[in-house]
Amino acid sequence: MSARIPDTHAEAWALLPWLANGRLPASDREWVEAHVAQCAECRGELDAQRKVAMQINRDTSADAAGTPGSTGTDEQRSFNKLWARIEASESAAPAMSGASGGFSSRTRTVRWLAAAVVVQGFGLALFGFNALRTNPPAGEIVTVADVPAHRLNAPAVRVVFAPEASMAAINTLLTHQGLSIVSGPGTSGNFTAELSADAVASGASADSVAAVISKDPNVTFAQPVAR
Amino acid sequence: MALKSVESESPRLVGSPDASERELLERIARSKDQAAFRTLYGSYYQRLSRLLARMSVRREDIEEVINDTFWVVWTKAGEFRGASQLSTWIIGIAYRRALNALRRAKIRPVSDEPFDEDSISVMSTDAAETDGQWLALGLTRLPVEQRMALELTYTLGHSCEEVAAILDCPVNTVKTRLFRARETLKQVLPALAGMSGEKS
Repeated sequence: MSARIPDTHAEAWALLPWLANGRLPASDREWVEAHVAQCAECRGELDAQRKVAMQINRDTSADAAGTPGSTGTDEQRSFNKLWARIEASESAAPAMSGASGGFSSRTRTVRWLAAAVVVQGFGLALFGFNALRTNPPAGEIVTVADVPAHRLNAPAVRVVFAPEASMAAINTLLTHQGLSIVSGPGTSGNFTAELSADAVASGASADSVAAVISKDPNVTFAQPVAR
Repeated sequence: MALKSVESESPRLVGSPDASERELLERIARSKDQAAFRTLYGSYYQRLSRLLARMSVRREDIEEVINDTFWVVWTKAGEFRGASQLSTWIIGIAYRRALNALRRAKIRPVSDEPFDEDSISVMSTDAAETDGQWLALGLTRLPVEQRMALELTYTLGHSCEEVAAILDCPVNTVKTRLFRARETLKQVLPALAGMSGEKS
């Protein structure tokens, strides 16, 4: 950086906002500060800009209550929407993600397959095809055979989803928590979902998962199933 | 697998923001790390919400712009070369998305109805509150480009060069926009007019 010292009032005046916010490069700060020290008009303007900065930040804090980001719940709900969109997009084109190869793409493929299984299982339960799961016609519907096997005494939660919850959001929630729907809907719209062996191995329990998902906006009720 | 990090509320970064954020971006680019993505999202959500609100983007449309922005972050994480600060890149995406959307009228700008000067409480004994009301009035008088230059400088604390990168314009244009914004605010804000009106 050349040691340019313009020391003109107009140039110093233009840079005062960044002297006020502390982001003026050292090479400029030196001469601007020197100018301000001997220019009453620039000192007044600097004070004025500091006041504007203070007021804008004060105003911004007050505005926080009125913006979507004002609560963690809003933020989480918003992120859930984005994540559901990403999952829907990537599961729609799983072949493309495999092009780069490597460990991450393989694990992602497994994840999408697992998600697809959950969706299929949930769809079957939702539309009352439980009979197919308990007694599937051999070789007739492949997805039925792919539904995760019901594990004896696996930790499970009873859950009721919010009426406005989308299938994508429910899918995201179940996948993230390692849950698979194994029965439902019950008379009050409740489903029973089991924890996967992986989720249990990573330390999740019916109690902990029920506590987490009960805070999700897509869930109206969740409790561990006593087994 | 249970990804508990996804459920954490508003995770915040510690240490050097840009270094921490770049590390998160690398994890997203390298292994599509969802926890890293969630943390990065959390660190920008409120900043972008406020900035977009200042751009006159309606509250119900702000989430859409933020999620469009982070869709780009998710899909293009590997293309960020580090020529600028990460915050400059992300906020720049959000700014352009919001501007394009506003221009296409895909999302509706908040009404630019004239600010009702009578709504400013002359009886208020809180000087800061009164100044804040005048400032709100002043900001409504600024074109969105000038308002953004002011916001990026004073609310987010960006340098002149960073503001230029975000707004995708020359540095001198940023200086000119802020110069004009300052002049407009001075005409509206009585307190400011008094402060810088004294000649040397």
